[in-house]
Amino acid sequence: MEDAPQFVAEPAAGFNRPLLLSAGRDRFGWALGHLGRAVLGLITGTSVLAVVLIFVFIVREAWPFFAQRSLAEAFGSTQWYPQAAAGQEQFGMLALIVGSLYVTAGALVLAVPLGILTAVVLSDIVPFGLRQAIKPVVELLAAIPSVAFGFFAVKVLAPFMQTHLGFTTGANILNSSLVLAVMAIPTIVSVAEDSLWAVGRDLREASFACGATRAETLVKVVIPAAHNGILAAIVLGMMRAIGETMLVWMASGNAAQIPSPWWDLSQSVRTMTATIAGEMGETPQGSIQRHALFAVGLILLVFSLGLNLLTETLLRRAKTGKGDRR
Amino acid sequence: MRTALKAALVVAVMVVLGAVGTAVAGEQAAIQIEGSTTVGPIADAFVEAFASSHPNVTMTVKKTGSGDGAAALIDGRCQIATMSRFMKPEEFAKAVANGVMPVAHAVAMDGVCVIVHPSNPVKGLTTQQVRDIYTGKLTNWSQLGGPDLPIVAISRDTSSGTYESFTHFVMGKDKMAQQVEYVNSNPQCHARVEATAGAVAYVGLGFVDDKVKALDINGVAPSRATIASGKYPMSRPLFLFTNGYPELGTPIFDFCTFHLTEKGQEIVEAKGFVALTAY
Amino acid sequence: MRTRLRQIANTLFTLAALASVVLVVAALVGILLPMIWRGSGAVAFQGTVEFRRMQIEQLGRGDRKALQEEMEQANRLRDQAWGMLDRFAAAMDPSDLVTRVRQLHREFSTQIDNRDLRRDQTTQLKSLSRSLRDKLLAAMDTQDTSAATANLDEVLSHAEDGPLRGTVAAGYFDAARHYRDAISGVDLARRDQYVEPYRQVRSAVEALLGPRPGKPLPALVMQRYGATRWDQAREHLANVLWAREWVADGPGRPLRQVAVPREQQFAGTELAGLFPLMRDNAAGMLLPRWTFYWQYFIDDSLSGHYFGGVGPEVIGTLLITVLAILFAMPIGVITAGYLIECAGDGPLTRLLRMCINTLAGVPSIVFGLFGLAFFVIYLLPKLGAPQGSSIVSGAMTLALLVLPVVIRASEEAIRSVPSSYREASLALGASRLHCFVTVTLPAAMPGILTGLILSMSRAAGETAPILFTAAVAMGPVPSSLLEPTRTLSYSSYDMAVGDRMAAMAPHNQYGMVMTLVGIVLLLNIVAIVLRGRMARKLRGQ
Repeated sequence: MEDAPQFVAEPAAGFNRPLLLSAGRDRFGWALGHLGRAVLGLITGTSVLAVVLIFVFIVREAWPFFAQRSLAEAFGSTQWYPQAAAGQEQFGMLALIVGSLYVTAGALVLAVPLGILTAVVLSDIVPFGLRQAIKPVVELLAAIPSVAFGFFAVKVLAPFMQTHLGFTTGANILNSSLVLAVMAIPTIVSVAEDSLWAVGRDLREASFACGATRAETLVKVVIPAAHNGILAAIVLGMMRAIGETMLVWMASGNAAQIPSPWWDLSQSVRTMTATIAGEMGETPQGSIQRHALFAVGLILLVFSLGLNLLTETLLRRAKTGKGDRR
Repeated sequence: MRTALKAALVVAVMVVLGAVGTAVAGEQAAIQIEGSTTVGPIADAFVEAFASSHPNVTMTVKKTGSGDGAAALIDGRCQIATMSRFMKPEEFAKAVANGVMPVAHAVAMDGVCVIVHPSNPVKGLTTQQVRDIYTGKLTNWSQLGGPDLPIVAISRDTSSGTYESFTHFVMGKDKMAQQVEYVNSNPQCHARVEATAGAVAYVGLGFVDDKVKALDINGVAPSRATIASGKYPMSRPLFLFTNGYPELGTPIFDFCTFHLTEKGQEIVEAKGFVALTAY
Repeated sequence: MRTRLRQIANTLFTLAALASVVLVVAALVGILLPMIWRGSGAVAFQGTVEFRRMQIEQLGRGDRKALQEEMEQANRLRDQAWGMLDRFAAAMDPSDLVTRVRQLHREFSTQIDNRDLRRDQTTQLKSLSRSLRDKLLAAMDTQDTSAATANLDEVLSHAEDGPLRGTVAAGYFDAARHYRDAISGVDLARRDQYVEPYRQVRSAVEALLGPRPGKPLPALVMQRYGATRWDQAREHLANVLWAREWVADGPGRPLRQVAVPREQQFAGTELAGLFPLMRDNAAGMLLPRWTFYWQYFIDDSLSGHYFGGVGPEVIGTLLITVLAILFAMPIGVITAGYLIECAGDGPLTRLLRMCINTLAGVPSIVFGLFGLAFFVIYLLPKLGAPQGSSIVSGAMTLALLVLPVVIRASEEAIRSVPSSYREASLALGASRLHCFVTVTLPAAMPGILTGLILSMSRAAGETAPILFTAAVAMGPVPSSLLEPTRTLSYSSYDMAVGDRMAAMAPHNQYGMVMTLVGIVLLLNIVAIVLRGRMARKLRGQ
């Protein structure tokens, strides 16, 4: 019998150690591994730490405001006069909150139909190659900074509204809503398109087999099947619109009022974000106005987080939920 | 291997940047100037003039409003606060409580001018009429002898010294109406009035040019002569505030006395304001 | 019948959908195109000889000899215009003479102070000079020829005074004689008709051609040069040739603007010849030429953004975004790696994911608030840095903002590495960490890089987080990371609404926004191309 083949090669550098080690034999390696994992875990915890810190610091600065002022004044009054003589300041945030809602609602009214229709075109009407070419373009458009849009709103759209539409002021709800809609559309299109695509061909083919036209398939079958994803897209667009600062600061007119006939979009409003951005610099540390601005920030934060949670739930339901999915 | 190299490169860049940062941080004198958008152009021009005479001093200018300047001086975030109004008693108290002793240097004189679009035939108003516009009692130019256009009242935001001066001279205890539009700076007021036929706003004298029309107030037109003599009802000085009086010979001292030199006053006049003296 | 209806509905739906796409594309093109078009006007334009002069004098860039020749050529025509204006001004608007007389008094006072005289002598001389000055000013101010001549004669009576001889005060008498000659043949009473229009014409010509050569330079750099661009020049030329007046249009109606040719305004005076001269020779006086000013992206701005470029803003933006990515990358990649490799599916992991999603949902202004409250006010002073905005605070705030993006992109990239790589590496005996660092991470690197580039573009475009933490409107190029800086995003906002200079130089406003949008789009395109190549490489396996 021959000798069993000798698989003895020259051990390469670094391979002197036997390959299989138990924890007992390689205590050093075991400890290092666990230590390394702990360190990495701590670094990972930075995200958690950041969220905790954000909450802590914002609540810490906002709390004195709520301690000193009644909630009824903050949420019920529209009188925002932070710089009145000492002792007579008024911090009614209702006008600010309504302003944000007006601008967001206006933006969504335009962005949702346009966005969903565009998503439909991308997922169902346009050939695959064109879709692959257009998707990056949509992402590109989502990346344009908001200052550029604000620039356009102030320099081009506002004068146009004043000279050709006869508005008394070019910085108003309509201006901000129009441009905000253009900003929100790419977000809505990406997410809606992904969820429409995820519905799968089988559902569509079944509908076509029953004799439905493409429009009927889309409206009655595909969109309802993707409704969670589409709702998530809408909510994401809403988040983008509510959190937007620079555009509304430049284009909404900053008048802390609720528009007088409620449907008059040619009036100016002020949003929460623009208030914070505009007034923050003038508040010295510890003044009641600074606390009020942090309180507005807290309201904004809570609102955004609520919407975020909603988006997450909807997207999770879209992935695991009803309908036939691939 | 490539990752390790990349990581090493990254760390090296960070270390170099940080080292450069901390090494250089102590050497150059940095003066931070914050505050009013009215006095801002003067501060900008002074800083530019200083670039050649004081090359080792870095100066930064932020123009967001007199109130911002006061807050920054109180918090110690800036060395010079430019303000188009005097400090309020609360600001003074806060400053002293923080160990900051505000000292005012008047660098120029200014008048708060009420401006309208040049196509508006109205030539002048009384302070009472201006107050009625801003409290919402007057809503159409036809009530003042002008065309049938709704009045678009534009105000500076509350951090502005120009706003404070205007409130002090015109509004008294009344609050502005809710539909008054707020903008953040003098140039924005100017731009809004230039573009809107029915607009009325108020800016510093240095921002009045041929694209807008300044109204007479109580019969007096705003001009260098009427502001310097105080005849124009809304004349006011423009200030620089520092923490204590600056030490003689320091760059801050030079900055705060630059308006006393010929070049400084030329700059003030070139920017459209009224020099303190008839040099 | 119903089928036809349904088919029509189908077609309408398709048309509506396509129309909405067209609308969206049109909106975006309509927003971006003018910005890019007008912004490119800041880089490629017709520059005049004033522009070349400014480049040489302020930035030391250009050919001095060629400029000399051009200036001589232009001055041949310009001197004619200046001559006409001066001759008219001698009687009609002596404001230059007034300034000169005031300056004489100041120079005389300085000269007297430098001599060693007794105090009462100094005071006497100074008050003599002051009275001469005041008489001259009174003479130049009045429209009554006899009163003016009387004052001038009084001044000239001191011409032979001993103590004044050999001093600067001789200038008083020259001025008096000059003025007396100027008003001798002119009807001073007409002055108030012409003074204001003359001043307008004068300032328009100075805006067009720059200040009159031979006079002391104005204090502001902006006023030392005429129109640097031909489109600007055409506007100023229009101001020279036409007067815009607002005339009544009827009671209760707004005023109407009419353009009155200035030749009409000055008909019958010596100045009437100026306007045809300017109209026909403007190009000869300014010598416009197509210029490609690529240094726009690296030059500092002069005179608040009136001249110059966006160099410091570009540097500031790059510093802040690179630093933000440097902060975010290690944390993000490690978090992604941890989530995929080590974390199970327990409550801790769910908490982690929830926190990352929470971070993604915080509005940018709230990040700014947090940056102010935590980094600027709390953390940096604790570490010994001076209080105030700084690049470091801004970068850390931006790092938090882009962290979710980095984590998500890294996760996607790491997940898309085929498991065969991992299994092969583990089979060869590498530990999990070794496998991750040497096999998975390099394979995922293109994807991670794509994510980093996307976050960089996001960070470059954000304004709200750096409003209170890092941005200033005017300031030098930062020499240390603890200083605040100008950035493209904040300066674009400032130029659009806050800056007065910018309104006079709209091409600079658009140029800055175009630079910002250009950088952001460039980064995104690079990321997309990278992603395409990576996808192709992975599919090719």
